[in-house]
Amino acid sequence: MTTSRPGLSVGPTSEFSLFFHVRPGHGPALREALRELQAAPGYRDGDYDLPIATIHEARFVPFDDDTRLLFATSFDGPWDSYMDDFASKPLKLFDAIFRHVEGYDGLPDLESVKKFILSAQVTAGGYSRNYGGTVKQIRKAERVNRAFQEVLDDPAAAEALQAPALAPLLAEAAD
Amino acid sequence: MDLDLDDIQAGALHERPSPYVGTYLLLRVNDRRDGRKLVRRLIPLLSPAGAGGAWLTVAFTYRGLEALGVPPESLAGFAPEFREGMAARAAILGDVGESGPENWEPPLGGPDVHIALATLAPDQASLDEAVAKARRAREEFPGVEVIWRQDCYQLPTGRTSFGFKDGIGQPAVEGLGEHPGETPIKAGEFILGYPDETGGQAPMPVPEVLGRNGTYVVFRKLHTRVAAYRRYLRDRAADRREEALLGAKMVGRWPSGAPLTLAPDGDDPSLGADPKRNNDFRYGDDLRGLKCPAGAHARRANPRDALDHEGAVDVRLHRMIRRGTSYGPPLPDGVLEDDGADRGIIFVFAGAHPRRQFEFVKTQWLNDGIFIGAPQESDPLVGRGGDFTVPRQPIRRRLRDLPPFVVTRGGEYCFAPSLSALRWIADLREMP
Ligand code: HEM
Repeated sequence: MTTSRPGLSVGPTSEFSLFFHVRPGHGPALREALRELQAAPGYRDGDYDLPIATIHEARFVPFDDDTRLLFATSFDGPWDSYMDDFASKPLKLFDAIFRHVEGYDGLPDLESVKKFILSAQVTAGGYSRNYGGTVKQIRKAERVNRAFQEVLDDPAAAEALQAPALAPLLAEAAD
Repeated sequence: MDLDLDDIQAGALHERPSPYVGTYLLLRVNDRRDGRKLVRRLIPLLSPAGAGGAWLTVAFTYRGLEALGVPPESLAGFAPEFREGMAARAAILGDVGESGPENWEPPLGGPDVHIALATLAPDQASLDEAVAKARRAREEFPGVEVIWRQDCYQLPTGRTSFGFKDGIGQPAVEGLGEHPGETPIKAGEFILGYPDETGGQAPMPVPEVLGRNGTYVVFRKLHTRVAAYRRYLRDRAADRREEALLGAKMVGRWPSGAPLTLAPDGDDPSLGADPKRNNDFRYGDDLRGLKCPAGAHARRANPRDALDHEGAVDVRLHRMIRRGTSYGPPLPDGVLEDDGADRGIIFVFAGAHPRRQFEFVKTQWLNDGIFIGAPQESDPLVGRGGDFTVPRQPIRRRLRDLPPFVVTRGGEYCFAPSLSALRWIADLREMP
């Protein structure tokens, strides 16, 4: 874990949490906006491809009787380096949600968006991960494993995997 | 919006002549009145006519602006990274160990660097004339001292010390002409006072005249270990063809400048020399990097469309104008032993956002490999040392733990003001 920048990181990945105050009376509308987001491609049940390919997962959590909102995610890279990139495009995806929180005036210019984000960001008191690797590496690992399983399903695999160069694969083949 | 070209220092926007010779001078201001008088004397030299066919560019470090008496309320408006200076940003930039400020060539990174003067000319005679003019201007004002000089010149091959043509990949800037296959980048990405790619404007100091039409200039003296680099390639290649291919895979272009994306199998000098074609390409049909590795220097430094589908980064926010030059004698062809000579490039960046342009590219794209899904990798040419993967059929080649081939000798963050800002600085008076 490093603490030299906002957000803790583990390996290449950093945590990113934003705490907002919901505008008075906007709780139900916020819930509705979250339901709509959850119905969008990438966020739907069963979908995995988030529009931002460098985040591992993301959640919006309304709390304190829907008067507060937490946005929490894990991001590949130091997120503060990508602030300008976020503020200029991806955040627009969340426009319908942020409209219900205080301090958000649409997206008039980059500087005010950055101020809005920075004022909501709180660095975690602890952060740990169960696996290393970026989203890209995990995706590659999934593809490789799928290919490996396909190989194992081939009746010729047992013999082919006897080649000495393939010993590390053979060691993974039994279960 | 039209650019106020008559007010922008020409050296910042114009490509250097080719071939070129040049001199960089660093000055210390001991007496601010003399400093301001020098600034006034330099203004007429900042156009090619004034400097006898040479480009003269003048820029100031933050300490330099302080030394000239720019008031605190004006100083406060400059970009924070510029105010800190390059040496203070060294750890972030990866300038550590032998590249660290404690090992920089004095006075680089120290408190004495105030004014930077760059002179570039098509030939030695025009350079001598321009430098003589600048020197005479300086000699009239003993309160300003020359503390560093670095000569540079284009190597006879027209290439930089590693043997590759450089300076090809440049952004098309709105209002300054088009490049084939490219949507020009908004002028505010490079010149203060104009809309940039975010729709906003770079923060500017007050009064407006001080910032508008100015640009930040980053310069770095980068020593290149040419013998070690050649030896490295030789040791890992079965023959000369493989050696050349590996060298090209590390850069993303062949020595002539021909991009791997358009010429994957061998150099194509006519393509490399053709400005209409040598920069007109993308990586979208080569996401796996079989032609040009994702880790190649030029692809890292400008991934073009390779990251567009990821939604996390807008490449247009991370472009830069480069005005680098070569210094030091070339290492003769075929020599694999280090001769101890200092040779390399003076890397020069111009842009309105040093943090999200120069620093972002250097830290996220060159030093690191997270963005290509390879945290253990670094730029094979200019990175901090790390692995490098060359995708190829049937099996990729992976080189482990490359040694660093480039050592930072020092550098500075500077600001090159407009001509009217220079007049404003020259007109500063002490508070009574
Ligand atoms: C000794 C150090 C370096 C050497 C020898 C070097 C060499 C090269 C070469 C041969 C090219 C390909 C030619 C071209 O497209 O112009 C290139 C491109 C480039 N380099 Fe470097 N470079 C160095 C350091 C840097 C640094 C420190 C940065 C930025 C922080 C940088 C940024 C770029 C950019 C932006 C491009 C153009 C990419 C494109 O638009 O396709 N370089 N460099």
